[in-house]
Amino acid sequence: MGKALETKELVKWYGKEVLALNKVTFDIDAGDFFVIVGPSGCGKSTLLKIIAGILDYDSGKLYINGVDMKGVPSYKRDVSMMLEMYALFPHMNVFDNVAFGLRMLGKDKSEIEKEVKEALRLVGLAGLEKRMPLELSGGQRQRVALARALVINPSVLLLDEPLSHVDYRLQRKLMEDLKEIHRKVGNTFILTTHVQEHALSLADTVMVMNTGVIEQIGKPEEVYTTPATVFAARFVGEINLFSAQIKSWDGGLCYLTTDIGELKANPKNKNTLPSSGKVAYAIRPEYVKIGEEARLCDNKTEAKLVSYYYFGHYMEYVFEAIGNTKIKVSVPTEKVGNLTLGSTYLLGWSAKDVLLIERPCMIEGLNIEEVIYGK
Amino acid sequence: MSTLQLKMGLTDRVAKYSRYLLLLPGFVLLLLFLLIPLSMIVGISFFERFTVTGPENLTLKNYVAFFTSPQTPVILLNTFGMSLLACLIAFLLGYPMAYFLVFRVKSARVRFFVVSLLLVPFLIDWSVRVVAWLPILGESGIINYALMSWGVIKEPLELLFGRSALLIIWPQTYLLWMIFPSYLALTRIDPDIINAAKVLKAPPHRVFFDITFKLSLPGVVMGFIFVFVSALGDYVTPALWAGGIQTLGLSVANYAANFVWPYAAALSTILVAIALLILYVLLKVVDIKKLVY
Ligand SMILES: Nc1ncnc2c1ncn2[C@@H]1O[C@H](COP(=O)(O)OP(=O)(O)OP(=O)(O)O)[C@@H](O)[C@H]1O
Ligand SMILES: [Mg+2]
Repeated sequence: MGKALETKELVKWYGKEVLALNKVTFDIDAGDFFVIVGPSGCGKSTLLKIIAGILDYDSGKLYINGVDMKGVPSYKRDVSMMLEMYALFPHMNVFDNVAFGLRMLGKDKSEIEKEVKEALRLVGLAGLEKRMPLELSGGQRQRVALARALVINPSVLLLDEPLSHVDYRLQRKLMEDLKEIHRKVGNTFILTTHVQEHALSLADTVMVMNTGVIEQIGKPEEVYTTPATVFAARFVGEINLFSAQIKSWDGGLCYLTTDIGELKANPKNKNTLPSSGKVAYAIRPEYVKIGEEARLCDNKTEAKLVSYYYFGHYMEYVFEAIGNTKIKVSVPTEKVGNLTLGSTYLLGWSAKDVLLIERPCMIEGLNIEEVIYGK
Repeated sequence: MSTLQLKMGLTDRVAKYSRYLLLLPGFVLLLLFLLIPLSMIVGISFFERFTVTGPENLTLKNYVAFFTSPQTPVILLNTFGMSLLACLIAFLLGYPMAYFLVFRVKSARVRFFVVSLLLVPFLIDWSVRVVAWLPILGESGIINYALMSWGVIKEPLELLFGRSALLIIWPQTYLLWMIFPSYLALTRIDPDIINAAKVLKAPPHRVFFDITFKLSLPGVVMGFIFVFVSALGDYVTPALWAGGIQTLGLSVANYAANFVWPYAAALSTILVAIALLILYVLLKVVDIKKLVY
């Protein structure tokens, strides 16, 4: 399969102070649904703008469909983009906003009319053709911006946070629609979000970013089950992280010292791990058992229930073990027992569900505790 | 309870009307120095004579005289045609400068510095600026000297003492009135709107004409109005440098100087009426309402 996009050591400075992209190298297969996820300010929009050709980079290489993009103006790239702040044309109504790109491509009138109608129907804005941008709600504007980028149907479509300002139901609908459009037209989608659920459920490939660098690229399941760094583990999904010291290895089993005592791990990535030293000991909340079930586990600790969050289809309990270490446990709603706040319970998990992560993050010079316990 | 309601009603009403108080000083000034004199002028224009005892004989004679005079078409053309042309030239010179400042000059400090430079001529006394045109545009002025010594022309151009003088002096003098509102309108445009046009496949000239220029139109129209009105109101430049061409402003000054108040008043009224009409048409054509968002 060909590459829709390749970057080599892209560097972008804003002035002399802000290094927005620090040697970013990655590629995207043609036809991929590629989702970039990362915290606010990590450089997602910067990267997309560079790909779209509305922002210059300082050094490195950028290829789209194999062609070097240095000096190629935006309108000559087979790319379109939905900008983060929508940037609708304030002097044009909804129809003209969506038709703009098609007009620039020189399509004829009847075709434009048909495609604009279809795009507006798709984003649920049929009937609002005559409205001016100022007469729309934030979410409606976002959908006009989405429709406007979609109608052009380029080989690479860039969507900068297309789902951030609409309600949950509409998010779900737009996600389904995006997936379906992507399947139908088969072009490459690059979408950014800071919502990890969107990344996991939309993407063929996820890229986790951290201030100017790539933390990990992989399939959603891969990133979730084998995070490359502590940062990636923390950012994608909920996870319990303890700072740990490797004491010894016995066969496949690793013995570690942590804040909550001696723990065991039987991680999948054992052949990449060192024989001693500091690592992050990580266990996802859905693998932690409570009470009777915990007795059978090879890792156990006592902990006090301090709070809980109800999420509909599951319940998340927050426990406090020795040294005020928080442990999150998620339990499917139908299995929820009767727990009392303030009581102490036995928690346990199996060594084979534990992840050991050696690398704190892809930014040099941060120590592992800083990343584990947050910045 | 009813007293409470009454109180609320009162404070509400005070609050409601007190914001109009902000308008009061400006309104008083306008009334005293513009509306009252203007209505007096319009009033006087309908009389035959205006003496120490007051106006005499209600009549339309002044207007009839003006519109039947063979001079009138030329005067109107000189007045409004030259002013509009001056606007156009000021726009062609000023808008690119404003555009350049906003989109090509990255440093805010440099931008501010250049805008300040544009203000320097205003520190020089107006009468000096008017007279200073002779050594520049005169027969042996800088421009003719330069052009002749480079061999571009053989005879000196007659830049002064004709209509061309107005088309050089007015745009130069009022250039800032065009640059400034255009500049402000251009800085107000969100760069991402221009980016959006680019990613939606607009080539540079479409980005400019469909987006940038259209969104800056309120400023351009403002600039047009400023330059237009300034040029209309200036009768000194035509008197000094335009070689005896007649404009409405000049006629008003002449008749007023000879105390023919009613006729001067009629000419003023016509000047203001046509100016307002032109501005009205301009605003209609540009449909500024759609752009002031
Ligand atoms: N025009 C600019 N001038 C200076 N710094 C900028 C500029 N634009 C962005 N930055 C900085 O560059 C970094 C990356 O910004 P960017 O907009 O790419 O982040 P992002 O990942 O899109 O964030 P968000 O999720 O909040 O949209 C941030 O630290 C930001 O402050
Ligand atoms: Mg962003």
